[in-house]
Amino acid sequence: MDVAALRVRAVPGRRARRIRRAVLVTLLIAGGVLMMLPFLWMVLTSLKTRSEVFGGAPLSLPSGPHFENYVTMWNALPGVTFGTFFINSLKLAALNTAGQLLSCSMAAFAFATLPFRAKGTLFGLILATLIIPFQVVLVPNFVLYRLLPHPTSESGNWIGTQEPLWVASFLGGAFGIFLLRQFFLAIPRELGEAARVDGANPWQIYRHIYLPLSKPALATLGIFTFMWTWNDLIDPLIYLRQLDQYTTTVGLAFFQGQFVGKWPEMMAGALVSLAPMIILFVAAQQLFVRGIALSGLKG
Amino acid sequence: MSRSVAPGRPLLRPRPSGRLGRDSWWAWVFLAPTLLGLAVLSAGPILASFAISLTDWDLLSPPEFVGLGNFGSLLSDPRFLVALRNTAFYTVTSVPLGLILGLGLALALDQRIRGIAIIRTAYFLPVVTSTTAIALVWLWIYSPQGGVLNNALGVFGISPQKWVSDPVFAMPAIVLMSVWQGLGTTVIIFLAGLQGIPQEFYDAASVDGAGRWARFRSVTLPLLTPTIFFTGILAFIDAFQVFDQVYVMARPGEPTKSTITLVYFIYEAGFDHFKMGLAAAASWILFLIVAVMTILYFRSQRRWVHYQ
Repeated sequence: MDVAALRVRAVPGRRARRIRRAVLVTLLIAGGVLMMLPFLWMVLTSLKTRSEVFGGAPLSLPSGPHFENYVTMWNALPGVTFGTFFINSLKLAALNTAGQLLSCSMAAFAFATLPFRAKGTLFGLILATLIIPFQVVLVPNFVLYRLLPHPTSESGNWIGTQEPLWVASFLGGAFGIFLLRQFFLAIPRELGEAARVDGANPWQIYRHIYLPLSKPALATLGIFTFMWTWNDLIDPLIYLRQLDQYTTTVGLAFFQGQFVGKWPEMMAGALVSLAPMIILFVAAQQLFVRGIALSGLKG
Repeated sequence: MSRSVAPGRPLLRPRPSGRLGRDSWWAWVFLAPTLLGLAVLSAGPILASFAISLTDWDLLSPPEFVGLGNFGSLLSDPRFLVALRNTAFYTVTSVPLGLILGLGLALALDQRIRGIAIIRTAYFLPVVTSTTAIALVWLWIYSPQGGVLNNALGVFGISPQKWVSDPVFAMPAIVLMSVWQGLGTTVIIFLAGLQGIPQEFYDAASVDGAGRWARFRSVTLPLLTPTIFFTGILAFIDAFQVFDQVYVMARPGEPTKSTITLVYFIYEAGFDHFKMGLAAAASWILFLIVAVMTILYFRSQRRWVHYQ
């Protein structure tokens, strides 16, 4: 490459800009690697023996992939495997996702298309719940679930069952209602009006016009609900009493108390519990990004 | 149907914002689950929470009315005051740090470079991971025995620290982990905000001879203030509710006291010690602080937030 010729031809500042850009990209990559280090550290540790973990250099490679850590972790607790936690988490995440999609889309449909009294006030009220810390209702909700009878639970009420961890999702939620309402408002009203003239009732319009047209927004809400449920710690901690009901998060926290210093097994557990979210994120990054941008931009 | 009367004047009733259903009872069908949830899981419990906060109640014997006694004992309880102080520390450090780093990163990532998507993914990924698992990883990073942080600092001749169990470093260690985890959220929101600034504004500034810094100061920053404002309030409310990382990182250690936060205090009082009244009172203090700060913050927006 003829540097001298380049320098002559280049607009002043162009070379400087290129250098600046190269520096920037290098820094960004370095930062990205730094962001990934905890994950790398987790993976490396999960494949090492315990003596390697405390002996060798921090980022040294394991002497061989010690997958037995995963097996030990999987079967570490008496009576249940980590798979039980995994299935519980999946079940609750699926139920919550279904509940939020159904109840939020219904309310959003009403707010976006139907006339009714006190619409503005009601919508404001729902939005206000966004800034109310949910801990305020932690105690009264516990009291409420303690009053509800349950046929199979040991306590006779909902405490010690998984029900408090999903039933509420069928009763709406501010984020989902807001997100879907925005989306529904952008759907041309003529579509619904035409169907109305043809004799369709609001339920049919909701079911056959609005829902099919809103797949991206529904997917965004679904993926967020899934993530929130999967990652939730405080609610399972409060309501679950038996190991076989535990989700991956409480399971991990319980693990932590049992396996002090057994870092390879613990990192294996952490990695297994993170895996579904990481896969989901890599597969649907655009949905996540759009959802976060939406929740931040349109208050 | 007499819709054609009085031209030029609004009809008897202003055109309702939705008219797909003529009968408003349809709306209530669609709203029923949400209304039930609002009444039974939000509005009702908020009032109930206040009522419970006025009692002494262990769930076993009937609640005993104690007036504002719980609030009084909280404000003289050193453990509660430590929780309050730790939460405040966590908030005033992690929120500005996250905003500044997030804004800087968003500016840096807002380019058309091949492969930028992969770099972005690295910054976004921690956002979707569970704080419980991530806190375990960081606990291991901070570990005094074999932890990578002490090893790395040892290279520079810095003596090993106990990080999470050291009263001085415990909170900063939790802040660092949380900023790392939350950074992606802020970056995504700021990136979206940056993409919403019309190119003409930059062009006009360039024509006026504005350099990079001047363009940032006079175009980017003012037009981003609504985003900064909103991200700020979200981050603040979130920070005040910090729990998961505290639960994982502080619980096993001896000096839990140096890292307990408000929500941890509420959890402990309510669901470890079954002091429902005390827990409810603490949650109301949390609520009041968040509400007052939010109102003050909204009041401040006239002074520094510019809407296009």
